[in-house]
This record gives sequence, C-alpha cells and structure tokens, in this order.
Amino acid sequence: MPSPAPATPSLEPPASAARETPMFFESGERPLYAVFHAARRERAEAPVVVYCHSLGVEQLTNYRNQVNLARAAAALGLPAFRYHARGHGDSGGDYADVTFAALVEDARAAAAQARALAGAARIVWVGERVGALVAAAALADDPQVAGLALWEPVHRPAEYFRAMLRGMLFSQVAHGARPNETVDQLLERLARDGKVDVHGYYLHRELVESLKPIALAQSLSRWSGPTLVAQVQARPRLAPANAQLAAALEARGARVTTLAVAEEPGWHFISNPAWESETLVRGTAEWLDGLA
Amino acid sequence: MAWRESAVELARARAERPVLAPSPAGALFGVYTQPAPEAAATGLCVVLFTRPRSHRNRMFVELARALAARGFAAFRFDYHGTGDSEGASGFLDPGEPYRDDALAVIRHLRGALGQTLFVLVGSCFDARTAISAFAGEAGAIAALAFLAAPVMELDTMVKADADRKGLGHLGRALRNPENWRGLLRAERWRHMAAVVSRLARRAVPAGEAALPLSASFVEHFRALVRSRARALFLYGTEDAEYPSFQAAERQLFARLDAATRARFETVVWPGRVHGFLEVERQRETMQKLLEWIGALAPLSAAGRGGGAASAQEASWTSA
Repeated sequence: MPSPAPATPSLEPPASAARETPMFFESGERPLYAVFHAARRERAEAPVVVYCHSLGVEQLTNYRNQVNLARAAAALGLPAFRYHARGHGDSGGDYADVTFAALVEDARAAAAQARALAGAARIVWVGERVGALVAAAALADDPQVAGLALWEPVHRPAEYFRAMLRGMLFSQVAHGARPNETVDQLLERLARDGKVDVHGYYLHRELVESLKPIALAQSLSRWSGPTLVAQVQARPRLAPANAQLAAALEARGARVTTLAVAEEPGWHFISNPAWESETLVRGTAEWLDGLA
Repeated sequence: MAWRESAVELARARAERPVLAPSPAGALFGVYTQPAPEAAATGLCVVLFTRPRSHRNRMFVELARALAARGFAAFRFDYHGTGDSEGASGFLDPGEPYRDDALAVIRHLRGALGQTLFVLVGSCFDARTAISAFAGEAGAIAALAFLAAPVMELDTMVKADADRKGLGHLGRALRNPENWRGLLRAERWRHMAAVVSRLARRAVPAGEAALPLSASFVEHFRALVRSRARALFLYGTEDAEYPSFQAAERQLFARLDAATRARFETVVWPGRVHGFLEVERQRETMQKLLEWIGALAPLSAAGRGGGAASAQEASWTSA
C-alpha cells in the first residue's frame, strides 16, 4: 500500500536566491545550464541531490516542483543540483540529437559537477518520468549513491511514447477535431519520416529507438539502496508497475518508501498557475531528511 | 524543419550569462545572450517574456541566440513565482500583468548591463506584461511584438469567443464526452452557460461591440500610442483571443492618426498562433520575429546617430 501523504510538514521557507547559483558547465561539447543550491545549514557528510528531468515539455510542466524540491533539500542541509540536459531548456544542443545515451552522459557530467561544488562524495538521484530511467542508468556504476527517488517513473518507454501519442489524439478530439491517424499510424509515420509533431515538439525516431531496449526494472536489477517511488496519478493505489518495482527492490533488501500523489498534472500542457505539488515535494523532502 | 543549432548559435550559447535581477517580489532568474562580436551592433536588447523562460520547444532560446548572431542582445527570464525565480506563484491573469517584473528587468539591464533601448516580445499574458512596461519605461522601448493576447477581461473573453461559435460548434461540443465530464467543475458550467447564452443572443445586433476591452490594456495601449515605439500585432484567425483583438481594432486602432497607425503592423494568419502547439507555426513565428526585429536595427542606428553601446563592456554585477 502507498504511504499516506505526510501530514505535518516542517520545512523551512524557500531559500534565498543568494544561495542559488545559476551556471553553465560542459557535457558532450555543449554548455549545459544548471543551478546549484548550497545547503542552508550544516549536515555532516550530507549527500548532494542531483535532479534528472524528463523529456521535452515535461521538463517545463514539472519545473516548479524541481525548484521547490531543491530549495526544500537545501533547507534541510542537503545541497542540490538541477541541470538542463542537452537540447533542453537553456542548454546547448539540438532536441533532434537527444538520445538516451546522451542523456545519461549529461547526468554523469552533472553528478561530477555537483560533487565538486558540494564537496560531497555521495549522491541522491531524483528522476522524473524518463529522467527516472536516466538516473537509474547513471547510478549503475557508481558505488557512492545514497538514494534514488523516482517521480512518476516511466517503466517501459514504448508504452510511454504510445501514451504520449494517444494523449495527443484525445486532445484533438477534445478540441472538436477528428484525428485522421491512429497511434499505430503515427508510429509508422515516425519510423518512415523520422519525426512526428506532438504538441509543438517533434518526437524523433532516434530518441524513440535509443530508448526501446531500456526498462526500469532491468536498469535497477543490481540496485538495493534506499528508494522512493512517488506515483503521480489520479488513482489512490499504486499502479501495478510501481508496485512490482517496489516489491522487487524490497526482495533485494532495499528500503523502499512509496508515495501516492493523487493528482493529475497535464504533462504536455503548461498549466496556469504552473503545477506545484506540495504533497510530492514535501514527501520527497521528508524521505531525503530520513536518509542521513 | 526542426531547429538545428548552427555554429554561430552554439557560440552565442557559450557566451550566455545567468543574471539575477532584483524585483519587488524577489530575485528574477534570467539568461543574458550577448550579441555576436562579429555582427554589426544594433544597440537593441530584446527582452523575451514567458514562463518558464525557454518557452515551448525552446522557442525563446533559439530566438535569443539567432538574434544575438544578428547583433542584438537578448534576455529571457522567469517571472516571480515561476521557473527558477523567487517569489510566490499564482494564477496569471492577463488583466493584471506583472508590470513590476517587466520594469525591474528593464532597469536592471540598464543599470547592470548598460542596455538602453529595448524590444519587448511576448504572447498572451506575456504580451500583456510586455505592453504594461510602456507605463513607466516608454522612452526606453523601441518596439513591441504582441502575439495572440487577450485584450479583454477573462470573463468577457468567453463571451467574445462564444460570439463566433455557431450551432455546429455547440453540437460537436455536446458530442464530446470530455465536455460532459468537465461539467463536474463549476467554472466549466459557467463557460458552457456563457457560450449557450451568447449563441441564443446571436440575433441581437452589435453584441460584440458592446463587450468592453480590459481597462489595463486600454491604459497600456495608450502609453504605447504616446511613445515612439513600433509594434507588431500577430494573431491567428482561430485564436480564442482574436475576437477580442478585433474589438480593439474597432475601438482603439480605428481612432489612431495615420502617423501612429503607420508604426503598427497587424498580421493575421489562418489557424492558430496562440499556444504554439505546432512546430511549423513556431517556425513561421520565429521567422516573422527575426525579420521584423531585424528591420528595426537600421532605424535604431539612425536614431542613435550610428553609435552603438557595447553591452559586453558593461560591468557584470549579476551572477
């Protein structure tokens, strides 16, 4: 069963921007934008939190939660590092060139940067959606990982992309238009033409192909560290994929915390006001607080 | 075609600097793109308004770097309570634009980076925030690109949009299960009631003309008119915001003298501009903005006697 949402938050107010340093660093011969959140209080041997965002517009729709989590972590004494992967946000690079391997390369470069800035040896990875797959891959060969938080993780990319296309067709119907292609036809067009426009972002064949062999459970097959599985879905109970992942990790001795955030963000639309989930941020911050 | 980052744009990316601009609501995070040293300096700084600051499909990142390659400085930033910036978030009402943020950014770019003449670009709420800066900094603004923004209060917008809908639209809406599910929400009930009410009153002549423009828009538009700035107004025929702009054309633009009207360009494309939910429409918009802003450079040089301020030599007091 999912853990109930924390009821009594005890977080400090957001950090001053004076303790937040925006910067650029290098990965893949491109400048990547990042913000380093210095810890606002002493905490012995605190790990640094590194945040892996999702793809395309999902980086924007969940952006404020990333910021709020980093500020909450810093207030608890854990430095945090947020970055924009290549082809995303303020970083260099083309979205057309983004592949899973490139995203993992950026994550590892971010981890090195975060460790240097924080003076920390250990890392806590936070991965959102496809970013969960990126974080899982990035931690695979790293012995100094203190924890892994998964925000509404993508388990199987093929299903994720199908759902993305299905969502676009639903959106067309909602606006009174009759879709003239099915999901399968869109996938055929993607394979044939190399790209499909999804809500103002091209979904590129190279990206889809690069993620095809990836599966979250497989990526985490050797992981047994502290893990938070935060589900963001309208349903109150854990989805089967999340429940199975939690069970598999626990079977290997991992300490797994689950959090059900019964909200339904429009992942492909920037809402007004921007989506901010107090439950998600607070629950993750409390999990971080309990790691040390 | 998707955006392909060119070598010169990558060089502009490398020259970008994060900037923190103080505002009444907290520090505003932004990215300043320096003009390419090999390009003829324009002396113009283009401020891009949206949240988060990269815009959908990184439109404003691309635009900033493309403009910088043409000799423009550019600045994109997050409003308070959005993106990386400080402050509390809230519902963004176009009738209550974030004028304090706009003025704070312009003044910081002037004080910290030596920029003196600005081009403002925004869509929807962001366009309303951009035009609001004329009330306070009109003398520093050379031009405004005002894209697909509502110019009525939101309640009035629903009526204006309903006025162009026919029974066919209502029929399609009623066949859509999502709309029925939406009726669980009070605001959706109000929306549907407004649409049905306006359709029922379709026989009443001149109903649209009776719909008032937003008071804050009228105030800021008048400040724009009093200035010497040029302006581009860009809409799509299917934008829900377009009927409100048509009302503004009748109520405000029609009364402008010829000299003022000549400073303003209105472009209306088939389909939608608002939201930029299609890549091809994004490309068209980028191209239009690059051409329109590019044409401002000679005017700026003439106004300045050919001299160009060097933003690159300004002292960097920001992050």
